[in-house]
Amino acid sequence: MSSFALPKTVVRTGLALFVLWAASFGLSYVHLGSASLLVALAIAAVKAALVVMFFMELLHESLSMKLTLAAAGGLLAILIGLMIADAATREPPPLVPPGYPAPDVAKIPSR
Amino acid sequence: MSSSIPIRPAEHFENLERQAHAARLGMWVFLATEVLLFGAAFALFATYQVQFPHAFKLGVEHNTKVLGSLNTGVLLLSSTLVATGVHALRAGHRKVASWLVTATIGLGLVFLVIKGIEYGKHFDEGIYPGGAGHWFAEHHDRGLAEFWTLYFGMTALHAIHVTIGACVLGALLSSILRGRLGQENAHRLEVGAIYWHLVDVIWIFLWPLFYLA
Amino acid sequence: MSTTPLAPAASPAPEASHAPGASPRPVAHPSYLGVDTTLRSWLLTTDHKRIGVLYLVTLLATMALGGFFALALRIEHLTPNATIVSAMTYNRMFTLHGVIMVWLFLIPSIPSSFGNFVLPMMVGAKDVAFPRLNLLSYWIFVAGSILVLLSTGIGGIDTGWTFYPPYSSISATAVPLALLGVFIIGFSTILTGLNFIVTTHTMRAKGVGWMRLPLFVWSIYATSIIQVLATPVLGMVLLFVVVDNGLGWGLFDPARGGDPVLYQHLFWFYSHPAVYIMVLPGMGVVSEVVASYARKNPFSYKAIAYSSLGIAFVGFLTWGHHMFVAGMSKFDAGAFGVLSMLVAVFSAIKVFNWTWTLKRGAVALKTPLLYIFAFLFLFVFGGMTGVATASMSLDVHWHDTYFIVAHFHFIMVGGTLTAFLAGLHYWFPKMCGRMYPERLGMLSAALVFAGFFVTFFPQFLLGNAGMPRRYFNYPPQFQVLHIVSTVGSWVLAAGLILTAFYFLWSLRWGAPAGPNPWGSRSFEWRTASPPPKHNFRREPPFEIDPYDYTQPLPDEVYQ
Ligand code: HEM
Ligand SMILES: [Cu+2]
Repeated sequence: MSSFALPKTVVRTGLALFVLWAASFGLSYVHLGSASLLVALAIAAVKAALVVMFFMELLHESLSMKLTLAAAGGLLAILIGLMIADAATREPPPLVPPGYPAPDVAKIPSR
Repeated sequence: MSSSIPIRPAEHFENLERQAHAARLGMWVFLATEVLLFGAAFALFATYQVQFPHAFKLGVEHNTKVLGSLNTGVLLLSSTLVATGVHALRAGHRKVASWLVTATIGLGLVFLVIKGIEYGKHFDEGIYPGGAGHWFAEHHDRGLAEFWTLYFGMTALHAIHVTIGACVLGALLSSILRGRLGQENAHRLEVGAIYWHLVDVIWIFLWPLFYLA
Repeated sequence: MSTTPLAPAASPAPEASHAPGASPRPVAHPSYLGVDTTLRSWLLTTDHKRIGVLYLVTLLATMALGGFFALALRIEHLTPNATIVSAMTYNRMFTLHGVIMVWLFLIPSIPSSFGNFVLPMMVGAKDVAFPRLNLLSYWIFVAGSILVLLSTGIGGIDTGWTFYPPYSSISATAVPLALLGVFIIGFSTILTGLNFIVTTHTMRAKGVGWMRLPLFVWSIYATSIIQVLATPVLGMVLLFVVVDNGLGWGLFDPARGGDPVLYQHLFWFYSHPAVYIMVLPGMGVVSEVVASYARKNPFSYKAIAYSSLGIAFVGFLTWGHHMFVAGMSKFDAGAFGVLSMLVAVFSAIKVFNWTWTLKRGAVALKTPLLYIFAFLFLFVFGGMTGVATASMSLDVHWHDTYFIVAHFHFIMVGGTLTAFLAGLHYWFPKMCGRMYPERLGMLSAALVFAGFFVTFFPQFLLGNAGMPRRYFNYPPQFQVLHIVSTVGSWVLAAGLILTAFYFLWSLRWGAPAGPNPWGSRSFEWRTASPPPKHNFRREPPFEIDPYDYTQPLPDEVYQ
């Protein structure tokens, strides 16, 4: 029986993943302000793409499977996008949550 | 060496190739549901994070960063090993494959142990889901309760998936050892490994959200 | 033209052939009903046809239960104050009615019963891709249903079928148990959808290309996509409510900083597409029945097929129209209002296609077609009111009134239930090998339609006049319309009970159906009724389109 040769793509992908892992960990100590979340997520996206393409071998799968994943990802983007859009553009709530000063009753228009 | 039992397609399939294709497609469709299952929780995280950016930053800063990052490394390594295992089985190296799968399961257990240690630390500090515990008596920012509730909810759900993944790989391992799983039907290991990778991918996103940014 | 002349119909006595003893081989195969008759062989079957029958029987039972609650609710409203039950019981009954009808009946109704029975035949396969998963899905469904029903025993649940927090986080009723039940049923939905998707992709026989699939397969395929992608979101958000209520996590509790509107986002991200889980399979039945009785190919096959996918996609973009007055931002409200209008486009494409097919066809008026007429009228009516409520300014007036109740009943009962009944009459001969009595069928179809209309049309008027939904008491000026509605529900019930009786009768005494009583060209009719275990004894050459009525009926039966 011939001996087992390590698959090159797997090894390379694994190495790349660990490099990105270290980079992300290191960057978390750099003060990037509000960009830090975006940077960390971008690195995560690259890592996820590497796993999906080369470990899960989606690259070589048939179109139906690519579409399956694309549909899931697309819908998730719609869900998160429209929910964030709501949270970000919402008017202040009519009822004040506990711990906040009560509204000035005199200013509320009467019927 | 154990001789393998001849492998035939199931009765309602024309040939093994079609059956393998069906199994892989089935797994990918299932993964799509997993993406949306966790996606719903990610959507909650995103909306709360937009509403309470400050509290979420406090929560992240207070989290067990080193342990969480170590766990990321553990999962990345496990994924690399099981991917190698699939290649080994495809090339007919059953023994190598079985060792690699064993190592993967072992790393999964390591992950769970580290996760357990983290939970223990949180409980010691008085952080429980739902904003319960004395830690919240000192930290009142609106949104902290949501951060920790989501943290516990999402990581616990992920841990359940790690456990399921380890069980699946365990079942496949025993098939390999009993000679029922080999080069001809390597797609079964492939399908199990794909599931394991997905669990890894989910953690790849949980890590920056809860530990880094 | 190509195959017909060689082999004229070969099997004179379809059922009588459960070959006794040692008869020589070439005798016709026993039907799927006859291969094995023990209870165990049914409960542990992996035959898609038997699983379809199991589902059908279970779903008919849950429908009867939900209908029982519906009748009780209507009787309660005969008078403005307490009539037969207390306010608390009323709350529990409308919740249970909704939960049962949505998750224990309508969601699985057509896909799990008829889908399981005919879809593999329609693609020319011996079974679904994962038969054991199929059986598992059935039992998961049963387990989840039992949990939901158990919750009734230990205090019921009084939140309404939408389980809105913050109330559902604190309600002292059996919320966690019921929600876990729904969560588990979700698994069953996902597994069934997954199975159908993979079956359609990988099990099509030679000659059955995508463009030769019967349209029912397209609609089930589109439904399955929604099932697989939307259900997990519901599962996740229900789990959070379970721990909110059971363990006090309070993720959606405003008192702890939580945001209940986020629950609504996730709930409707599932539940608006879910209304298409309920209605798309019905549309598939309509396509089959219309072509069979108009004896004509659909006006545009591709338009019907692709619009199913269009509906599945656009259905995901409109969920916010349920939240106009929930405190969602104006920006989102506007966006969802506009996006909701898109849905109507694809439904209209289908409706025009069907009506045009009927107009051009040589129509044979049978019970299923009567139900389809009811479907067309009620679906269009309900859909239009939907478009109206999706305009924010109108919805502010109509939200949470009987207008909404009427809107969705027009589609869920007037659409899906009538399509379900059409399918039941249409495929009953295939499933059991016997015919139902046509006259009685037509009579009950008329009763169902009339009863339905009298029940729900007054609810539009009630809602528009300001009658809120889910209220126990109401001002006396609404009483007349409420009484009309209640009387209507009795007519509807009479129609359904009549249907139940003649189906039970036909199981035993119905005239033998023969393989193809409707002269349909679709693939499931090209085997015996009831079909043999593996559907087709030999692979039929699928070279004739399922809607090609220009050629003589291929009279060879591949049983
Ligand atoms: C196709 C089949 C449809 C079904 C089965 C259906 C079902 C439902 C159900 C069950 C509800 C009530 C939910 C609740 O309990 O609060 C509802 C409400 C609503 N539907 Fe539909 N619907 C359908 C089509 C449409 C269409 C085509 C539109 C508009 C484009 C639409 C617009 C609405 C709106 C705006 C509401 C919310 C009204 C409110 O609560 O104020 N529906 N529908
Ligand atoms: Cu809707």
